[in-house]
Amino acid sequence: MKFSATECLLELYEEKLELEDYQSGVPRWCNGCGDNAILTAIQRLCRDEGLRPEKTVFVSGIGCSSRFPHYMKTYGFHGIHGRAFPVAEGVKMARPDLTVFVNTGDGDCCSIGAAHWIHAIRYNMNLTVFLHDNQIYGLTKKQASPTSPIGTRSNTTPRGSYLDALNPLTVTLGVANASFVAQAVDWIPESLFEIVKAAYHHKGFSFVRILQRCPEWLPKLHEADMQEPDSVQLLHHENALQLSPGLSKVYKNQLRHDPLDMNRAREIASSTDVVPVGILYQNREIPCYEDTRRSTVLRTSDTVRKGFEAELDKYSV
Amino acid sequence: MEADLQAYVAFYLTGKKQPTQVDGIDGLKLRPALFSGFRDLTRLRYDYPLVLIDDPVDERYVESLSGLIDAILDKLAQGADGERIRKNVLRLEQGIRTLLSTGRSGLFSELWDQAAAPLIKADKLMADSLARARANLKTDGEVIDCTGNLAFRLLGHAWGMTQMQRARRFNADINRLILKLSDIIQADFINSDAGKTAENLRHAFGSGPLDNFNFDAMSRILKKVSARENLPKRRRQRVLDLISTLQSQQFFPTTGSKAGVPGSPPYSFAFDTCSDALKAYRERIPKAIELARAIAMAELEIKGEYSEAKHDALFESFGENGLDTEELAIFPDYLVRINATSLSGPEQSTLTEILSADLPIKIVVQTDDILEKSLIEHGHLTFTLRSKQLARMSMGMGIFVLQAPASSLYRMRQPIQRGLDYAGSALFSIYSGDSPNTAGIAPYLVGAAACESRLFPAFSFNPSAGRDWAARFTLLTNPQVSNDWPVHEVIYQDERIQTVTDPVPFTLIDFVACDARYSKHFARVPRTNWSACLTPVATTLAAEGRGQVETVPYLMMVDGENRLQKVIVDEKLIREARRCRTMWNSLQELGGIHNSHAERLLASEKKLWQESASQAEAVPAKTDAAPASAAVTASPTPAPATGAESEAERSPDEAYIETPRCSSCNECIQLNSKMFAYDGNKQAVIVDASAGTYAQLVEAAENCPVAIIHPGKPRNLNEAGLDELLKRAEVFM
Ligand SMILES: Cc1ncc(C[n+]2csc(CCOP(=O)(O)OP(=O)(O)O)c2C)c(N)n1
Ligand code: SF4
Ligand code: SF4
Ligand SMILES: [Mg+2]
Repeated sequence: MKFSATECLLELYEEKLELEDYQSGVPRWCNGCGDNAILTAIQRLCRDEGLRPEKTVFVSGIGCSSRFPHYMKTYGFHGIHGRAFPVAEGVKMARPDLTVFVNTGDGDCCSIGAAHWIHAIRYNMNLTVFLHDNQIYGLTKKQASPTSPIGTRSNTTPRGSYLDALNPLTVTLGVANASFVAQAVDWIPESLFEIVKAAYHHKGFSFVRILQRCPEWLPKLHEADMQEPDSVQLLHHENALQLSPGLSKVYKNQLRHDPLDMNRAREIASSTDVVPVGILYQNREIPCYEDTRRSTVLRTSDTVRKGFEAELDKYSV
Repeated sequence: MEADLQAYVAFYLTGKKQPTQVDGIDGLKLRPALFSGFRDLTRLRYDYPLVLIDDPVDERYVESLSGLIDAILDKLAQGADGERIRKNVLRLEQGIRTLLSTGRSGLFSELWDQAAAPLIKADKLMADSLARARANLKTDGEVIDCTGNLAFRLLGHAWGMTQMQRARRFNADINRLILKLSDIIQADFINSDAGKTAENLRHAFGSGPLDNFNFDAMSRILKKVSARENLPKRRRQRVLDLISTLQSQQFFPTTGSKAGVPGSPPYSFAFDTCSDALKAYRERIPKAIELARAIAMAELEIKGEYSEAKHDALFESFGENGLDTEELAIFPDYLVRINATSLSGPEQSTLTEILSADLPIKIVVQTDDILEKSLIEHGHLTFTLRSKQLARMSMGMGIFVLQAPASSLYRMRQPIQRGLDYAGSALFSIYSGDSPNTAGIAPYLVGAAACESRLFPAFSFNPSAGRDWAARFTLLTNPQVSNDWPVHEVIYQDERIQTVTDPVPFTLIDFVACDARYSKHFARVPRTNWSACLTPVATTLAAEGRGQVETVPYLMMVDGENRLQKVIVDEKLIREARRCRTMWNSLQELGGIHNSHAERLLASEKKLWQESASQAEAVPAKTDAAPASAAVTASPTPAPATGAESEAERSPDEAYIETPRCSSCNECIQLNSKMFAYDGNKQAVIVDASAGTYAQLVEAAENCPVAIIHPGKPRNLNEAGLDELLKRAEVFM
């Protein structure tokens, strides 16, 4: 229900939160870890969008990156390895009024959680997903992950990994109902923030792969890309992100890309010579699972009890 | 002047009939020639009768009988037997129309069955067609024809459906609020020691192997760990009060109120007089404010956002200035249905009061007589047009207004819905077409004629549709809206049995001719006297002023045997018709048709354009581009101020960070948090370069993963190892 005059008055009383108000505890990430940049970008989003802490949830699995919810003074669910998506889907289904974020790692999402990942894309629920892709298992001290570049030396692959890396962008773009796919890098804060913001504003499953540095285990991995601005290719379009003059000055390698062009998106996602940064694909027309399945039945304790019992009765002997 | 012309002119100017030349028309049962085809409406297919749909989807609260039949035929009458089915079902439709004309009423399905019964008996194939069609009859509702009570019934039905929609929304909202508020109380109970008794725990467990648990022990343990605070007393009371206010509201019948809550029956919102409606509205205001306030508070409570410090005072004074339209929008609207004859004295002023305050009251005023005599005895013929003035006056007050004869209501079903949805007052001024003075002509036809004659045009004025007349006002349901009078073809056979097709405008005079009270303004000219000195009414109307009377206007009418008659009319009627046309013309202008301002502007623009075009032709064709380009170069645009490069201004000796590129990695802060700190966006800046050593600055620059720290020059020239540090710092300059 809307109450114009009343609502206006009530809004006067809304408190404005600062960045620190969203900060909880001291991150235990290594110094220089790219997760810090992601945390900052997301806290900025929360502040700028005025997200109410009690209406916001961060759900994660296991890994360095999955410690994320601990550092947000919002609701959080540090779940079990690979299962961030099912938990987040459940939260969203039961409480569509909450803003639900998912923070997951390359091991968490693309290895043990791969099955959930595929189906989460297909469900297209309104979740904002950040894949902290450091291309390694960080928490367990350096084992090759599915996204580790071929030849990565690690505890499990002392002579270098044998398989080509899995590309989270092409995989996501290949699943039915993919509605928002973007890539960001942790070392360009401005573009990281803009992408995080666009992902938040997209209604549907917004998937952002963030190339995240792990200085502890793979310190050299992105060194060359960071030193050479032209190795990053900024995507822009009037229906996607526009580049600020400041950013344009430093990053001259730019590409105009229509986010509705799926074929081109897949080509860009497959680039090996440059690191594309921006929105690869966005389709606002794909329905969200929770909307198509929404029930108008009020959940009184009675209906919940009856539903439960009906379910359990199916299994009673 | 010939003798007969003299007699006609005498009648025209004075209304006196000379018996040998012209006849009175009383008892001749004349009707306008255009009506000749419409003697028996039951044999025609047109948009009436209507079906008031019981359970409408998408605001389709009314359908036309023939429309519903067509929908069935579109589905059914396809194959080899399609033609037969079509014929049979149309036969049934006619049966239903005939039943209605005998005064029968009922549901569509009931009338269908009644009309079908005799047809089925006689014919097997007919029975087959009708059975198949009946199976496709998916909607039902009361069938009503265009009779005296159509407007009240139709608008009452549409209003009822609109309120039902509102009630549904309201119920869903209220039930949600009550549930969520009850959850707060319930959660508090579960958390309390009282909620943790062994008995409650056992109950909460439901069925199953209850004996395997020691609920006493469980209760003891749970009571020990009660970490959560209980609901503060004040909040608890507030929540309970809100629940009781929401449950006891009387504005809508509710589905969710718990049994046992002493509830009063819901209010009624349909009234027969404006004063009753206004009285009820006033009496209920405090209750409405209380409810709106409870809803606003409940929304805050369930979000956990109610703060006594901030909100108590706000809600204390809630509704002191009444409720605004958005707040009123959740409540039912009032409906008043009155006949224009009872709109006098106090009732009239109450109506004006309601409309000028834009209260959420929808008023239907039905007029049965729009040719009421007023000052006729003073030698002037002026119709009072009370209802017409009512509609115009209401438009001036900026409320929703719809004017239409009952015969146009089906075509205006969407504007009607807009009016019912309108947040504020709406006036529906309806002409029924059902008056004893037009006896013998179906009200549908009379209504349509009122509209055709421009005496009672159909229009709607919706202030919520936009800010200008173009968005708010529409005349489009009127026939041939851009003409003064709608023109129709009259086909007849002349004296030599030749078929003649005449375009005949339908004017106010045709309409007046249907009304027995005005017969003295008409006189029949015997066929033998038809001559060139008779001229069609429309020709006279089109000529301005009176001038020399050389011809006398006549109307084409038909008698009971459909024989054509010429009837001359008097000047009073001509004057009245011109007045009616003037009023129609001004309505047209409001509706954007022949708008005089626009036309004048257009004409002057056109003139200017033509003048400049002819001047251009006169000028020699030599084009000289120089002045134009000179003008461009003469005013050079100042070069955009290149945003003063702050970096360029900075002294190379100064230590600084390219803050916007900082990836918040903590490295530098960890190194020296007095020297480095985060800004409001959690990106690093140097807050105090002298809070540490130059060595630390250089180290930070080296450690920064994005290499954005610039150490500048050392401040303390006595620092140890400066030479080496300066060398290391060089790459960051
Ligand atoms: C079911 C299960 N299997 C294995 C592990 C061990 N484990 C913990 S974290 C992790 C990998 C995390 O890698 P990633 O998701 O990339 O996170 P990062 O630490 O790199 O951010 C593994 C395999 C576990 N905790 N649970
Ligand atoms: S191990 Fe790598 S990913 Fe984990 S916190 Fe350290 S730097 Fe970050
Ligand atoms: S070391 Fe660099 S990136 Fe890290 S916080 Fe400091 S300035 Fe920012
Ligand atoms: Mg990882």
